[in-house]
Amino acid sequence: MNQWIERIKDEWAQAWTVAVKDVRVYYLRPGMIMFGFLMPFFMFFSFSVQRELGAEEGVARLLALTVFFTAGAAGPFIIPTERRIGTYDRLLAAPMSLITLLLGKTAVGAFFAVSVSVIALLAGLLIFGTTIAQPWLLAAGILLGALSFSTLGLAFGSIPTTNPGDVQMPSTLLRWGLLFISGVFIPLSQMAPAARAVAYLSPLTYAQDLMNQAVLGSGLIDPWLDLAVLSMSAVVFMWPSVWLHRRARVLGR
Amino acid sequence: MNHVIEVENLTKIYGRPGAGVLAVDHLNFEVRQGEIFGFLGPNGAGKTTTQRMLTTLLEPSEGRILIHGHELAHDAYPAKRMIGLVPEESNVYTELTAWDNLMFTASLYRVPRAERAARAQELLETFGLWEKRDVKAENFSKGMRRRLSIAMAIIHKPALLFLDEPTPGLDAQSIRSIWELIRRMNAEGTTIFLSTHQIEEANQLCERVAIISHGKVAAIDTPERLKANFRRVQSVEVAFEGEMAEKSPGLESLPGVTTQAKVGDKIRLYTEDPSALLSRLIQYAESHALRVVSLNTLGPSLEDVFLEITGGQVGAVGNGSQEDKPAKRGMGGRK
Ligand SMILES: Nc1ncnc2c1ncn2[C@@H]1O[C@H](COP(=O)(O)OP(=O)(O)OP(=O)(O)O)[C@@H](O)[C@H]1O
Ligand SMILES: [Mg+2]
Repeated sequence: MNQWIERIKDEWAQAWTVAVKDVRVYYLRPGMIMFGFLMPFFMFFSFSVQRELGAEEGVARLLALTVFFTAGAAGPFIIPTERRIGTYDRLLAAPMSLITLLLGKTAVGAFFAVSVSVIALLAGLLIFGTTIAQPWLLAAGILLGALSFSTLGLAFGSIPTTNPGDVQMPSTLLRWGLLFISGVFIPLSQMAPAARAVAYLSPLTYAQDLMNQAVLGSGLIDPWLDLAVLSMSAVVFMWPSVWLHRRARVLGR
Repeated sequence: MNHVIEVENLTKIYGRPGAGVLAVDHLNFEVRQGEIFGFLGPNGAGKTTTQRMLTTLLEPSEGRILIHGHELAHDAYPAKRMIGLVPEESNVYTELTAWDNLMFTASLYRVPRAERAARAQELLETFGLWEKRDVKAENFSKGMRRRLSIAMAIIHKPALLFLDEPTPGLDAQSIRSIWELIRRMNAEGTTIFLSTHQIEEANQLCERVAIISHGKVAAIDTPERLKANFRRVQSVEVAFEGEMAEKSPGLESLPGVTTQAKVGDKIRLYTEDPSALLSRLIQYAESHALRVVSLNTLGPSLEDVFLEITGGQVGAVGNGSQEDKPAKRGMGGRK
């Protein structure tokens, strides 16, 4: 019993060690800045500039975008890079479970996403004088969204390759695809029923709805359902990562 | 249980079974408690593949690995706790300082917090990196990175240390200090599994050597007994005064000579019976009016044994293969 408590404490500390190290090593890498920091703002401005957009609506959208893009940028960049340099072997050989390693890596993406979202939020508050309807709901939404999209990114990062370019491409494609079906640029309420049915398949829909709820005070879906879907998807997206790591051990890459 | 590692029928096929690359082919061997075990083979022999399977990084296609009697496939955790791993490429975080690299691994391997700084300092001093502790590893030379990556692998005092070709590309002094460290760790009780393609390294360090070739163990024994088993690769080295190329025709057709090789200004003649060859050589010199400058008989070197086993040509190595020479040469193979 005691042994198990010790083990869990160890694993927890190891996940933290991995996460802190990654943040220190990778936060200024061009790959991270490009895909994690510039991308959401770029997406935001290219699709939102000409339209009439209220400040609150804009902030809700920007937050959904930053959480979505930044969280998912870490995994596909960091893991193949570490596989190439060989530092990933040290993590894989260390006395900790695969889940611990994956949790550490998830935390890295989530940490970046939360940081960039806070910057975006501060910009909204200070420059546009946005008001936030439900601050606690917003905090929960950013955190859970960050975790969910970080595990999604991790699934791509787990593809056995030593070249980040190999996985950044498919992961970017998938994320763009999700972006356009998810009620970010077209509100759910204005969608045709068929399109809305598709939108409900994407976790980003729930993140965007949650941001609307938290910032504007008007979501279409029950916020508890939003939170539940985001938490569940974080767990579900773990599976492909576990499976792909097993594959990598067989393939030897 | 005095076997730290037991390997049974260990096999790795990369890619589809049947159509894939058979990298390791039904290996069987044991590593004993407290020894330095050499895993010697040419490029592509399967050394790295084997080591990656032993350290849980790669899934075997077939066979069993026992570490301290525990089957690795069932529960790798106890083994992982006691293993230290120095891979082929120095895997340090170039963005972090030497100190932070060590602190990271110490934390990853759950070295008690109170001991981390003292151990890191001791290792950095041992490896001559203490002055550079606050320098980012991106500014390190190849040798410094290598030493740092070894330090990172042993900060948790592993009972079993794997090293995959720790010395190629380093200068003689770095090589010596790494050898010294391996000997010291071994004296303090660490069992060492050393993959290498440098014969001299195996000869200098290892108590037992497995020679592997094409994914199979070709021979396994102490370096001395390996040499003793290969009487046929004994040799006689002779040097004549003057230009020998023109002056010593027909040496290789002397009775008992298997192969002839030019070694610097000497000629080496491989034979199973050096003493018989000696007298024939004297006769040869007299009948050709040649002055003998030097004449030596040599036992088989590990290098000769290695080449004999792995199918390289005896004597084809060229310049000098004596065991007192520095070990900078690697044996080329199939790459
Ligand atoms: N990931 C891989 N996929 C396919 N084949 C591989 C892979 N890794 C190694 N091989 C092949 O397996 C064989 C053994 O390779 P391995 O790296 O184990 O040899 P080695 O003894 O370590 O060689 P070296 O001295 O060059 O390091 C080689 O034929 C190699 O081409
Ligand atoms: Mg190798």
